[in-house]
Amino acid sequence: MKSTKKRTKFEKPLILFFVFLSAAFLFPIYEIAMNSLKGRFFIADDPFSLPTEETFVGLLNYTEGIGKIGFFQAFGWSIWITVASVAVIIFFTSMTAWYIVRVNNIMTSGLYYLFVFAMIVPFQMVMFTMSKVANILRLDNPFGIIFVYLGFGAGLAVFMFSGFIKSIPLEIEEAAMMDGCNPVQLFFKIIMPILKPTAITITILQTMWIWNDYLLPYLVLGTDYKTIPIAIQYLRGGYGSIDMGAMMAMLVLAILPIVILYLFGQKYIIEGVVAGAVKG
Amino acid sequence: MQKTIKRYFFVFVFPTLLAFIVVFIVPFLMGIYLSFTEFTTVTDSTWVGLDNYIKVFQDPTFVRAMGFTGAFTLVSVISINLLAFMIALLLTRGIRGTNIFRTVFFMPNLIGGIVLGYIWQLILNGVLYKFDRTLTFAPEYGFWGLVILMNWQMIGYMMVIYIAGIQNIPGELNEAAKIDGASRWQILKNVTIPMVMPSFTISLFLTLTNSFKLFDQNLALTGGAPAAKTEMLALNIYNTFYGRTGWEGVGQAKAVIFFIIVAVIALTQLNISRKREVQH
Amino acid sequence: MKNWVVKILALSMVLVLFVGCSGSDDSSDGANDTVSNDTEEQTDTDSTESTDDASEGDTEEGSVYFLNFKPEIEEVWQKIAKEYTESTGVDVKVVTAAAGTYEQTLRSEIAKSDAPTLFQINGPVGYESWKGYTKDLSDTDLYSWLLDKSLVVTGEDGGAYGIPYVVEGYGIIYNDAIMDQYFASASKSTSYSSMDEINNFQALQAVVEDMTAIKDELGIQGVFASTSFSTGEDWRWQTHLANLPIYYEFKDKGLGDAAEIDLTYGQEYKNIFDLYINNSITKPTLLSSKTVNDSMAEFALGQVAMVQNGNWGWGQINGVDGNVVAEEDVKFLPIYTGVEGEENQGLCTGTENFFSINSQAPEADQQASIEFIEWLFSSDEGKNYVTNEFGFIAPFNTFGDDETPTDPLAKEVLRYMADDSLTSVSWNFTAFPSQQFKDILGYSLLDYAQGTGDWDGVESAFVDGWKDEKAATAQ
Repeated sequence: MKSTKKRTKFEKPLILFFVFLSAAFLFPIYEIAMNSLKGRFFIADDPFSLPTEETFVGLLNYTEGIGKIGFFQAFGWSIWITVASVAVIIFFTSMTAWYIVRVNNIMTSGLYYLFVFAMIVPFQMVMFTMSKVANILRLDNPFGIIFVYLGFGAGLAVFMFSGFIKSIPLEIEEAAMMDGCNPVQLFFKIIMPILKPTAITITILQTMWIWNDYLLPYLVLGTDYKTIPIAIQYLRGGYGSIDMGAMMAMLVLAILPIVILYLFGQKYIIEGVVAGAVKG
Repeated sequence: MQKTIKRYFFVFVFPTLLAFIVVFIVPFLMGIYLSFTEFTTVTDSTWVGLDNYIKVFQDPTFVRAMGFTGAFTLVSVISINLLAFMIALLLTRGIRGTNIFRTVFFMPNLIGGIVLGYIWQLILNGVLYKFDRTLTFAPEYGFWGLVILMNWQMIGYMMVIYIAGIQNIPGELNEAAKIDGASRWQILKNVTIPMVMPSFTISLFLTLTNSFKLFDQNLALTGGAPAAKTEMLALNIYNTFYGRTGWEGVGQAKAVIFFIIVAVIALTQLNISRKREVQH
Repeated sequence: MKNWVVKILALSMVLVLFVGCSGSDDSSDGANDTVSNDTEEQTDTDSTESTDDASEGDTEEGSVYFLNFKPEIEEVWQKIAKEYTESTGVDVKVVTAAAGTYEQTLRSEIAKSDAPTLFQINGPVGYESWKGYTKDLSDTDLYSWLLDKSLVVTGEDGGAYGIPYVVEGYGIIYNDAIMDQYFASASKSTSYSSMDEINNFQALQAVVEDMTAIKDELGIQGVFASTSFSTGEDWRWQTHLANLPIYYEFKDKGLGDAAEIDLTYGQEYKNIFDLYINNSITKPTLLSSKTVNDSMAEFALGQVAMVQNGNWGWGQINGVDGNVVAEEDVKFLPIYTGVEGEENQGLCTGTENFFSINSQAPEADQQASIEFIEWLFSSDEGKNYVTNEFGFIAPFNTFGDDETPTDPLAKEVLRYMADDSLTSVSWNFTAFPSQQFKDILGYSLLDYAQGTGDWDGVESAFVDGWKDEKAATAQ
């Protein structure tokens, strides 16, 4: 009671402060949204002025941009690769993690540390050799890249799943096995449901990573199958005509899906992120 | 039970392991091998021993990139953590709209590196234009541009982690301290901060590694310009591989060095932080 | 039941992943395998490696993969590729490298299993880097059609490894309407009254500086378009403009190449560069964010009177929305720098675009690629594209006198070339040591322009950089 009284005194200025800070935080996004409605020659030199009658071009930049970089195809590829990779990662790494935790021998311990090790290695260390391997094995397409993401995502995913599985009491599993379950049944019927919260956390983390990833898909897929980050860079990378208007529009479209998803599920996303960090 | 599960290795572990080996372990080992060779493709290499490593340190761009990256990491880690913690403190007082503010501050973290880089490029160039300057006029501009960008992206994320940490402090501790007549500052110093140490460990780890390994944002914001002076290590390595013919071996050597540095930093930091945590 | 379903699902997912990665004879495990497999040798230029790779294209006819160097005509190439595929059934893929990244893109692509079959080299220097991949084309029809076979990039064995496919010229493009306005102006303080009188640097400088003084009256924001220095966009200064001092120095010394240069015409280089940046629409400190496109747009929108570029720039001028420059007003002026006798200097004409066929690609693909470009330069549809959509002046005898491009800049180039009283400046930058050299020169020029460096820095980047890079690439 004493504390609430104290807070009220500072509450108003604090709220004001945060409103101001929030505006500052949202400003960049507002900027590109606003500029995406201006004609392409009026953006670079004066990004802070509102569209005037002269400079307003409606949705022209959007149609131009979508055409120029095939945004919808890029969107499609981004969705396919992200969803498929995350599904594959969750499916396989959860199984692996469970096996590693339950079967306790030198090999599984070694494997565990190998996975943890993988989390520290920077991408540059393997990028060149990995892209060559991917090319040799014909993995350089939107299906093969899922295999690549499994390999790269395994480190973090196995680590996090393992952490959680260690806390599942053995009795449940032992009871199930005595009832005649084989390990596969046991895993899918009993363990997986328990893993749901962690699975959600990992899903969120991996999705954020893969959706926004530029370098790995660029090296593996090149410009044959552009994902959204690749398409944006292609538009901007000193290439032919750099249409600032289209660029702005594409940036807006690139952010839109994530922002919408976020607004719907922000509670889960933030919780998931925190849980992920804490467990780490 | 272990024995039964053990037989299912093929189902549970093999797929993940296969992907992990093919896509990560093999390229990693190949990378180490190739760093001692001069090569153009992975099948065509000649052993040159430590030559590449010597060339790495003679390369002024690498040394400069290292300095730049180090400075950037130092500044970013300090500013992000300081600001995030302060905001977290303010947002755990139960003022109205806390959730909304939290949502807003976290959002930038969802946006991918490339997109982020171009958004800030527009804004910063717009501001600098009023002073007849552009972002690529001098390396300092690029440096601070990156710092601002990094802060914008990471403050929300770290803030959320700190909030979770602060909220986990048992209320009784605060009450007890107040009853003992402790001032707000003393509570902060002796109760809050020590109890939040685990969050601090995580946050430090994340900001440290993310800053050091930064690539996408670097590429988009300045591309290393002017004159490669705003190249961070990851971008420098990338440009060495793909930008200069005949330097692939050196690029790989740089990557190995990069890996070692990141690993040392990460492990050292974790070690120190964990020790401090245990004490409390 | 559920149990079985689950097992099958799991196994089938694994199988799908396996299918994704199968398809070639090479196994993946262990670095040892790949190192010893050794499928790529780069010694003989003529050996066609028939690798054990799975089939490149789908048909026995072979397919074409062209890595394009010129972003400004990318769309036309895509059109051509589509039309060719539709009419012949041969697969044609065209990928364009971003400005300033051709070398590295080619290097990265050529190592892949699906490598470019048709690519470009920029001349003798490029040939040195790529001779392991270029095929001798001296027995092809394309070679036989060349008007001037001395332009071909030859190897030590006399073979033809790079075939020039376009003749181009660059100089100072100017807007005649604005110039007329200047000459008619009452406030001008020079005594020149027509472009014919501008035939050396002194005249050019006087006029340009005067125009800058009365630019408001002329309705322009600067005489010259932006001296673009964005990453990859500085080739007009570190390559094209830098060609002039080198051309004159080599001419004096009677050389075509050298391991070292003295930059005897450094002052002249500075003359023209200063003129560009001091009479520009853009302040020097903002140049690092400007691109070639920005410059061409400035010219097209009538904001400036002059821009240095080549006849390939016509498409960029013409294609700008709100273009106000009339075709008949677009003309070329030679780049005067203050060299004695430059009244007889013409435009800089030559080529750095040579087609090469990938000698390491499957034989069928090589043939298909040769046939593709031969179609392009001899069939009616192909020649129409070359002349009218690319705007190329093609150096082949398959083109009649009436099959030359009709855009104003190409016509200007031809006019200058046909004028016997003028000597064209040849393209000597094909002898520049490397892309690295050009990049460093570009950095030093930007520093000088911005005020973060000085001209001595430019000179040492030029001279020392030349020496160092020549030595480094000679290994």
